Parts: sequence; structure tokens; C-alpha cells
Amino acid sequence: MPCDNETLVHAYLDGALDPAKALEVERHLETCIECAATLEQADTMRRLVRSEASYHRASPELAARVMGALDDETPRAAPPPWYRNVWTGVSGGAVAGALAASLAFLAVLPPASEALVTDVTNAHLRSIASEHIIDVASTDRHTVKPWLATHADLSPPVGDFTREGFTLVGGRVDFVDGTRAAVTVYRHGRHVINVFAWTNYEGRLPDIATRNGYHIVFWRQGNLAFCAISDIALDDMLELSRLLKAATMPDGRE
Amino acid sequence: MTERRRRFEAQALPHLDAAHNLARWLTRSSADADDVVQEAMLRAWRGYDGFRGGDIRPWLLTIVRNCWHDSTKDRRRRGHVPLPGEDAAPLWNKGDELVHEGPSPEAAALTRDTGRKLDGVIAGLPEEFREVLVLREMEDLSYREIASVTGAPIGTVMSRLSRARALLREAWLGEIEGGTRHAV
Repeated sequence: MPCDNETLVHAYLDGALDPAKALEVERHLETCIECAATLEQADTMRRLVRSEASYHRASPELAARVMGALDDETPRAAPPPWYRNVWTGVSGGAVAGALAASLAFLAVLPPASEALVTDVTNAHLRSIASEHIIDVASTDRHTVKPWLATHADLSPPVGDFTREGFTLVGGRVDFVDGTRAAVTVYRHGRHVINVFAWTNYEGRLPDIATRNGYHIVFWRQGNLAFCAISDIALDDMLELSRLLKAATMPDGRE
Repeated sequence: MTERRRRFEAQALPHLDAAHNLARWLTRSSADADDVVQEAMLRAWRGYDGFRGGDIRPWLLTIVRNCWHDSTKDRRRRGHVPLPGEDAAPLWNKGDELVHEGPSPEAAALTRDTGRKLDGVIAGLPEEFREVLVLREMEDLSYREIASVTGAPIGTVMSRLSRARALLREAWLGEIEGGTRHAV
């Protein structure tokens, strides 16, 4: 006659019984061959599933989609123009400094910088229009960084600043100023931020530029020139560049 | 960003993987899983004020499951006919040509294919058993939590789980011993 304790044996295996009931099942297991076999088989399947079955993690694209859907759900009031923040003092010194820098830059934009700004803007627009934003999709900087080192011959700092609102989504190889650039791609809400890094840029880098509604922030670190471009607010751009500067120093060509 | 949004992201987003894993095992389709998760996260956001605190994961997984059930209802209404292989066809049939490669069942079970084959076997289980298995073995939910996610009494959860493991074992043995007995 089959033993009808099978369900209890599974519950025992899962630690779902109170101590008294568990003890009862333990005693039963000592004498019932059938239930002892059930326990062993259930345990085998349990271990097999836990160690071998696929766990399907969410892709970075899905995470970005969800964030975008949430953004749509809570339409933020159109952000005030960035220059107004400066005058009302809302955003503090960073933007004021940035404004001063950009005004200075606008006043004396050397032709080489002008060409560079055009170049970067075109690369950004190209990547968005072609939807060829990433070659390697990963939120893991330990995946993106070596990939860039192999494919772009340089290894810029790659950080995951999800907590600060910038989610790493991947990397790509692109061209800036006629040379190969490593591009790290972040998302801020629904917005894409391309961060270009390339070597051997002799010219003077502009600090900040705005072209076609895109903000572009340049900086230099070690032997690498950097440029972040996006349609997000300028102070968010400056925040990302600050985070990247604070991340590990670039180790240049590898 | 509002405080509500910040709290929601901090609480719910760490469980996006769990939401996707459940959705992927329920839908058995990558694209459908993404749609279900997106819809579920939106519903969770809209209903966030109704979340009573505690562990948010079972609450989110309940919403994922509801979204999946609603989307299957929609499909039936639209007269959606699943393509061959898209829906309930047992996936282990796909691996038939590989089954006799191994010298013995033991060796076959040890190959790198184990995970893939096991995935196929789990995917072929009826949904009511598949979902308790995923919630228990992959999400490590307690019986009580599984009961709240699936809306079934605890006694039903217990019997489904023991049945699920028995069915899984039977199908798994069939798979590693030749698989053909399941082919239709």
C-alpha cells in the first residue's frame, strides 16, 4: 500500500514544517523505505534545478525600457532652461562655473575645437539614428572595460553609477577626429549618454559646448581625451563627468 | 525625481531579475517576458501606494503572474494561435537528435548540455507545476509566499510542489535515458 506522506516529506525537505511535525516525519522516515526514497529523489531534483536550470536575468535593455515606461508615467514638468537655474541660484556653483566656462568658450572657439564638436555631435546622432548604440551590451563594467581594451585598443575608466542615476548599458567602437574612440554608453532615464575616449589629441579641448540641443562636456585625463554628449541637463552631464574623473585613472593603451 | 519614485526604484528595481525570471519561465519566450515585466512594473508603480510594506518581492511576483494571465486572456480574445514550438510543445523534443550521442545516461547527465536539457524539461511541465517549482527552487520563496503569489491555499502549494518534483523527475529520467518516449 503506497504511503500517503509524500507531500509531508517534500515539506520536510523544504523546512516548511514546525519542529514537532518535522520530528514526526523524521521518525517516519526511519521506518518507511518508500518515503526515504521520496526524500532522496526530491532532494536530487531540488539540487539539480538549483544548480543547473537557467536563471533568466533582466537585460540592460529591459531595465532601460522599464525606466523609460516609468518616466512616461510620471511626466516631469519640462526642466527649466539650464541658464535660469544659474540666475535663480537653484543649482549652485557647478552650473555657474560651467556657464562661465561655456560663455568663454563660445566667445573664442578655435576652428579645431569647432571641428571636434561637429565630429562628436555627428557620431552621437549617427549612433542614435542607426540605433547602433552598443556593440557590447552589459551593465557590468568588468565586461565592458576589457571589451573596449580589445576592440578600441584603449581602456578608459568604466563605472556603474546606477545609484547616481547613470546606468551603464554597454560599449561601442566609434571614430572621433579621425581616430578610433572607445565609447561607453550610459542611460539616464530614457536618455542615452555617449562617453567618447581617445588618445593622442594634441589640440586644445573645449570645456563645454552645445550643439543641436546636445550638451557636450570635454575633459582630459592622463593621455586620454574625453567627451560626453547627451540631451540631458547640463548639470547632470557635469555630474557624470565628475564621477568618471573620480573613477579609476585610465591606464591608456593596453 | 519624486521621493515616491526614488523609493519605488530602490525597493522594486533590485527584483527586476526575479520578475524577469518568473516571466520568462511562464511565457517561455524572451520577447513576451520583457513585455510582461514592463507591464508588471508599471502596474506595481501605479499600485505602489497599496503595497503594505515587508518583502516587496512576493508582491511584485504576484503582479508579474497576474500580468501574464491577463495577457494570455487577451490573446485568446484576439484569437491568437500559437505557432508550432512557440507554446506548449514540449521542448525536449527539440533535443532528440542529441540524445544518443552520450555513451551512457550518467555521462550524458554530466555533459555541459545538462542545463539546457533541464531547461527544456522544466519548460515542458504544465504551468501550475512549473510556477511553483520556479518560485520555490529559483526564488526560494516559502510555502506561505508561494501561496500568496499563486493565490492557492498552502495545502495546494504543498501538493503541487511534490507533484512538480515527481513530474520533473519522470520527465528528466525520460530525457537522459533517450527522450524518445516523450516524443509524440
